[in-house]
Amino acid sequence: MTGAHPTLAGTGTLVRAALRRDRLRLPLWVAGAAGPVATQSVSSQALYDSPRDLAAYEASVGSNAATIALAGPPVGLDTVAGAVAFEISAFVIVVAALMAVTTTGRHSRGDEEAGRTELLRATRVGRHAPLVAAVAVASLACLATALAVGVAAAATGLPVAGSLVLGASVGAAGLVFTGVTAVVAQATGSTRAAHGSAGLVLGLAFVVRAVGDVQGNGLSWASPIGWAQATHPFSGDRVTPLLLCLGVTAALLVLAGFLLDRRDLGTGLVPARPGRATAPRSLSSPLGLALRLQRGALAGWAVALAVLGLVHGALAGSVETLFADNPEARAFLPDAPGLVDAYLATTLSLDALLAGAYAVAAVLRVRAEESAGRAEPVLATATGRTAFLGSHGAVALVGSSLALVAAGAATAGTRAVATGDAGELGRLLGATVAYLPAVWVLAGAAVLLVGALPRPAAGVAWGAVAYVTVTTLFAESLDWPGWVDGLSPLAWTPLAPIDDVSPARLALLTAVAGALLVAGLTGFRRRDLVPG
Amino acid sequence: MTPAISVSGLVKTFGATRALDGLDLEVTPGEVHGFLGPNGAGKSTTIRVLLGLLRADAGHVRLLGGDPWRDAVALHRRLAYVPGDVTLWPGTTGGEAIDLLGRLQGGLDPVRRADLLDRFDLDPRKRSRTYSKGNRQKVALVAALASDAELFVLDEPTSGLDPLMEAVFQEEVRTLHDQGRTVLLSSHVLAEAEALCDRVSIIRHGRTVQSGSLAELRHLTRTTISVETARPVHGLAGLPGVHDLRVAEGRARMDVDGDALDDVVRHLAGAGVRALTSTPPTLEELFLRHYGDEVAADRRQPARVGAVRS
Repeated sequence: MTGAHPTLAGTGTLVRAALRRDRLRLPLWVAGAAGPVATQSVSSQALYDSPRDLAAYEASVGSNAATIALAGPPVGLDTVAGAVAFEISAFVIVVAALMAVTTTGRHSRGDEEAGRTELLRATRVGRHAPLVAAVAVASLACLATALAVGVAAAATGLPVAGSLVLGASVGAAGLVFTGVTAVVAQATGSTRAAHGSAGLVLGLAFVVRAVGDVQGNGLSWASPIGWAQATHPFSGDRVTPLLLCLGVTAALLVLAGFLLDRRDLGTGLVPARPGRATAPRSLSSPLGLALRLQRGALAGWAVALAVLGLVHGALAGSVETLFADNPEARAFLPDAPGLVDAYLATTLSLDALLAGAYAVAAVLRVRAEESAGRAEPVLATATGRTAFLGSHGAVALVGSSLALVAAGAATAGTRAVATGDAGELGRLLGATVAYLPAVWVLAGAAVLLVGALPRPAAGVAWGAVAYVTVTTLFAESLDWPGWVDGLSPLAWTPLAPIDDVSPARLALLTAVAGALLVAGLTGFRRRDLVPG
Repeated sequence: MTPAISVSGLVKTFGATRALDGLDLEVTPGEVHGFLGPNGAGKSTTIRVLLGLLRADAGHVRLLGGDPWRDAVALHRRLAYVPGDVTLWPGTTGGEAIDLLGRLQGGLDPVRRADLLDRFDLDPRKRSRTYSKGNRQKVALVAALASDAELFVLDEPTSGLDPLMEAVFQEEVRTLHDQGRTVLLSSHVLAEAEALCDRVSIIRHGRTVQSGSLAELRHLTRTTISVETARPVHGLAGLPGVHDLRVAEGRARMDVDGDALDDVVRHLAGAGVRALTSTPPTLEELFLRHYGDEVAADRRQPARVGAVRS
């Protein structure tokens, strides 16, 4: 199978090889997208089985800025199916986008960085084949996700047409991020930078649509997630916004091909400039090395969380507006100040989730260093195991704390300015601090995994993040039994500022984090170094 | 004198694989010790145990008089290590990596560093990502050689170097030797071990099969003798210890076991020797005897050296 064009020679073989490499990974992603749809569909149908329940639901979420910021435009809430789409679509779209980003990145820039592309291009494989194959595999995954989501929705009793529109919107959003990743994989010089830039675009797309949906001002049309959600599954079933997704994807892919032709194999668009001939003083210790390796990611996460905090603070005013505009809501909900605090508690939990995800990523850097063989020469110097893992652990703990406080401070500052009450600053910063121990527990769990279970550490640690995310976002709204989120540190965290901060709880969580950390460091001192 | 490295009965298993199966290794201070074996013999695993990166399952391991697992950090101040497969941090330059590794080890000599960069012809300002395999190896070599270590653990340090750089490397190792430092040099490039090592240990399948000085090991192998005689020699084929005999028009060529040399030379002298060349056994041949089940087949093929090198 040589293809019509010589620059595409070998594409089919590469696609088959990539699908084989991902034979476990991609089905897990697809299940991760379709599973929550089925669960949400079944639970929502059980929860809102009477028109009165549904009306109550519509009145409460239709006026809840936090829910709208997290979920999407409040449309079609007069049917259970519409409620399902509202609750789950943003989450599933983000899952599909992450799948598209990692799949495209891993088979394009990832292979190139590892030197596999060079090996392949020396055979009868055309210049464009590796990128086209990566895009094809990611697109197939998006298609499979679209079908699986559609089938999951329809099979659990939702209208078939709307189910297919929901699936198609998820798949189409995935395609856009396939295109985005294809472009940034050409522009940046490393897999890490490619994934980081694509993740940044995803984060921006989410924030833009959150602001647009809360304010209802059309800003959501500037976001690919907004396009996907503009299909209004089960209420409008509009398919024209999907054409926008496809068109933009096509344009991005053409741009990626254009950039590919204008750069050398193994480099980004900007050739690497000569760097320093000697190391700065700061690069003299295990901590200095950990900081050097992690500073880019830390700065990115901290800035992203600070921006998110600003947006959350700015949107808090809309909570009151929405509440005032929605007379029915008052029958079901507390007064407006209580609503604002509930909103702020939700946004702070979300900030904590993201800070926790950063902490896990930062700790897992140790495993990346170990499996790439870079830990070995360092540990063959006078650097001890505890210093090595501890340095990265310290960056994770301090870095995630800084990122979370940055988010909280941004929200607090915005609120203080908006309300003209300087006391808000201290009150909301205090509330933010209540979420720190939960973040530390996630970091501690990652340290324990790296120390004790090196090979499955990354998978299990991200599984833990997924568990905490899903339980935080869905356990309450889906009325899951209490034990389901019993292991989540966020479930043990008082929902400040709406709940009173219990120092005993926070001390307990901090102690758990400390114990996990010590156990992880001990495990790391006792085990073999595991490359690969 | 405490041995620099003392290993006996070392066992290391990975699941069902027995990577090291009762390995012995003794390195005395001040010697350059060749650690030889084919790929997968267990050289790197042994070195990782010596560095405290892997924990021994059984056996006795001492390094510079200490326990490499328990006293890792203290011992590492006194040694420098060059891994066989050098990977560097993508965002750093070679110079930064050299300084970092040097400082973590306990500091390096800036004059020596500059001299080594010059001798190895390495640009320290390039990003690690853009270095070739050989250049990454040079980064690790410069960091190690610019240190003040007493023990150098070098795991196939020249596998990516060109012949010119290999010569520089050999000079540097000789300098270390002259300074009385100890070097453990793992290799499967036999010419390198022959050129540099006082003693060698040969391992195979996680076990030491030979250990000693080259002179000690040579008597175990065969010397190749080519001879031109005045009168035809008879009866060579009947002598014990003669192999691969070929006789043609007053010339004879054969491989002779070390302990049979005396008898063979006496026998040849009786035929009037006009010219005689003897080639001492190379490590290739030593190797072949220990690693080839194919030795028997190879004996009939004169181009055996090429076969090992490939």
